[in-house]
Amino acid sequence: MEIVAFLHALLVEPFVAMWQNPEFLLEVAIGGLLTGVMYSLVALGFVLIYKASGVFNFAQGTMVLFAALTFVGLLERGFPVWASFLLTALAMIAMAFVIERLVLRPLVNQDPIILFMATIGLTYFLEGFGQIVWGGDVHPLDIGIPKSPLIIGGVLINEFDLVAAAVCGVLVTVLAVFFQRTAIGRALRAVADDHQAALSVGIPLKNIWVIVWAVAGIVGLVAGILWGSNLGVQFSISLVALKALPVLILGGFTSVPGAIVGGLIIGVGEKVAEVFWTPATGGAIEDWFAYALALVFLLIRPQGLFGERIIERV
Amino acid sequence: MAAAKRIGEPVLEVRDITLSFGGVRALLDVSLEIRAREILAIIGPNGAGKTSMLNVINGFYHPQEGTIAYKGRVRQRMRPHEAAEQGIARTFQNVALFRGMTTLDNIMTGRLLKMRRNFLWQTIHWGPALAEELEHRVFAERIIDFLEIESIRRTPVGQLPYGLQKRVELGRALAMEPELLLLDEPMAGMNVEEKEDMSRFILDVNDEFGTTIALIEHDMGVVMDISDRVVVLDYGRKIADGSPDQVRRDTAVIDAYLGVAHEA
Ligand SMILES: Nc1ncnc2c1ncn2[C@@H]1O[C@H](COP(=O)(O)OP(=O)(O)O)[C@@H](O)[C@H]1O
Ligand SMILES: [Mg+2]
Repeated sequence: MEIVAFLHALLVEPFVAMWQNPEFLLEVAIGGLLTGVMYSLVALGFVLIYKASGVFNFAQGTMVLFAALTFVGLLERGFPVWASFLLTALAMIAMAFVIERLVLRPLVNQDPIILFMATIGLTYFLEGFGQIVWGGDVHPLDIGIPKSPLIIGGVLINEFDLVAAAVCGVLVTVLAVFFQRTAIGRALRAVADDHQAALSVGIPLKNIWVIVWAVAGIVGLVAGILWGSNLGVQFSISLVALKALPVLILGGFTSVPGAIVGGLIIGVGEKVAEVFWTPATGGAIEDWFAYALALVFLLIRPQGLFGERIIERV
Repeated sequence: MAAAKRIGEPVLEVRDITLSFGGVRALLDVSLEIRAREILAIIGPNGAGKTSMLNVINGFYHPQEGTIAYKGRVRQRMRPHEAAEQGIARTFQNVALFRGMTTLDNIMTGRLLKMRRNFLWQTIHWGPALAEELEHRVFAERIIDFLEIESIRRTPVGQLPYGLQKRVELGRALAMEPELLLLDEPMAGMNVEEKEDMSRFILDVNDEFGTTIALIEHDMGVVMDISDRVVVLDYGRKIADGSPDQVRRDTAVIDAYLGVAHEA
C-alpha cells in the first residue's frame, strides 16, 4: 500500500500539480533560468578551450570567480562599471597570455591527463591569488540590473532573470558571428577540427590558445557578474563549475550549442524537480538532479545531445 | 615533359636523414633533393618511409640525424608553422580536411598566412579585417574555378565523396600559394577519370605557377606520365634516384618494388 502511495506521489502527483497550474510551472522554470544561464556560460568557456586545445580545464569555475572578484574589487575602488569591465577583460586576456606561456607551452604534447592536472594547479593558484589580492569576504555587487518582479500574462517573472537570459543570448550571438564570419573564427574552427591539418596551413596554435583562453575568461567574467549581482561575489561561485560536468555530458564536450542548451535544461530541470518532486522525495533534489540526468545520458547517449559520435580514430 | 626545360637548382635538400620510432627505422640515412619547378615522385612499397619523409620535410617528424636545407638555411628539424610560412604546403594520405567546414571555408584557411594583419589585430579591427577577407575570397574563388568544384562551394566537406575531398585538400594547399607542394598519394582511391583530372591539375599547377611538387604515388602509369624525376625508397633506404626511364630499368627497383604486387 505504502509503495503504491509513494509511486503515486512520485509519478502522478507532480504532473497533476503541473497540469493544474501551468503558470506556476512556467514561473518555476523561469526561476531556474538564471542558474541555467550560469551553467551554460561556464560550460561554454569549457567547450571553447577543450575544442581548441584538447585541455580539460578544471579551472573554468575559478576563472569565473577570479573575474568576478577582480570586477567587484575595481568597482569598490571607485572605477565606473564600464572601466571595471574593460580592465577585468584586459586582465583575463593577460591571464590567457600567461597561462599559454607558463602552463600550456611547456606541457605541449604531454598526455591530456598532465594538462588536466596542470589546470587543477591553476585552480588553486587562482583561488589563492584572488584571495590575496581581493580578500576573502562576500562582496555585494550591484551594477543596476533591475530586479523587480513583473507579471507578464499572469506569470510572475523576476526582471533580473530576463536580463540574464538576454545577456546570454547576446553573448552567444556575438560569439557565433565571431566564429562563423571572421578569419580568426575560421582558424579556431580549423584547429578544433584537425590539429595536424591546421598546423600544415600555418595556423599558429599558440595564438589560438591565447584567444580561446581569453574568450573563455571574458565569458567567465559575464557569468561572474550575473551570478554575483544575484548572490554577491563569493568563493562559492567556483562551485557552480561542478555542475558544468553534467552539463557537458548532456550537451556534448565539443558542442557550443550543446553547452548552452545543456546548461539551460539542467538549470531549469533541477528547479522544476526541486519544486514539484520535493513532496515525494523530501527535497535537496537540486543537489543531485544534474548528476542523475548526466548518468542517464551516459547510458543512452554518451556523445551528448549535440556532440559528435565518439569514434576511435585509427 | 614541358616542365623539364625549366627545372632549376635544388630548393630543398635533405641530408643523411635517419628517423626511428622506438625500434622501427622509418628512414635510414636518406639524402635527396627537390629541384625548383620539377615534379618529383617518391615511390616505394607500403611502409617504405615515404610519408615519413614528407613529415620530416614539413616538420611533423623530427629526425634523430641529418639536416634539412631550405631557402638558404640548414636546420636539424623543420617546424610545421615555419614550413608553412616558408611556402611549403601539403596534403595528407588520409585526407585531413576540416570536416565540419564548407569547401570554401576549407580553402580560405589556406589564406590565413597571407592575411597581412595578425590575429590579435583582427580581433579589434573588424572593418578592415572584413575588407581583407573579401580580397582573399576572390583568390579562393579562383582556385575553386581552377579545380572545377564550383558546385560544392557551400557543401560541408565531410559529406563529399572521397575523390572530391582530395581535390578540396589540394585546393586548400594551393590557396597558400606554395613554392613547394607535397602531395601524399593524391590519387589513392580514385577511379581512372578522377586520376586523369588530378594529373591534369598537378601538371597545370606546375606549368602555370612554376610550383615545385613532390608527390607520393603508387600508380606507376601516373608516375611515369607526370614526373620529371623519381626517388625510390625501400625499407627506409633510398635505392634509386633518376628519370622515370632510368628508374624503370633499375634492377634494384625491379627487385624491391616493381616485382611486388601493388595497386593499379
Ligand atoms: N608516428 C609513427 N609512430 C610509429 N611508427 C611510425 C610512425 N609513422 C611511421 N611509422 C613507421 O615508419 C615506417 C614507415 O612508414 P610510412 O612513412 O608511413 O611509410 P609509407 O608512407 O612509405 O607507406 C612504418 O614502419 C611505420 O609503421
Ligand atoms: Mg604513406
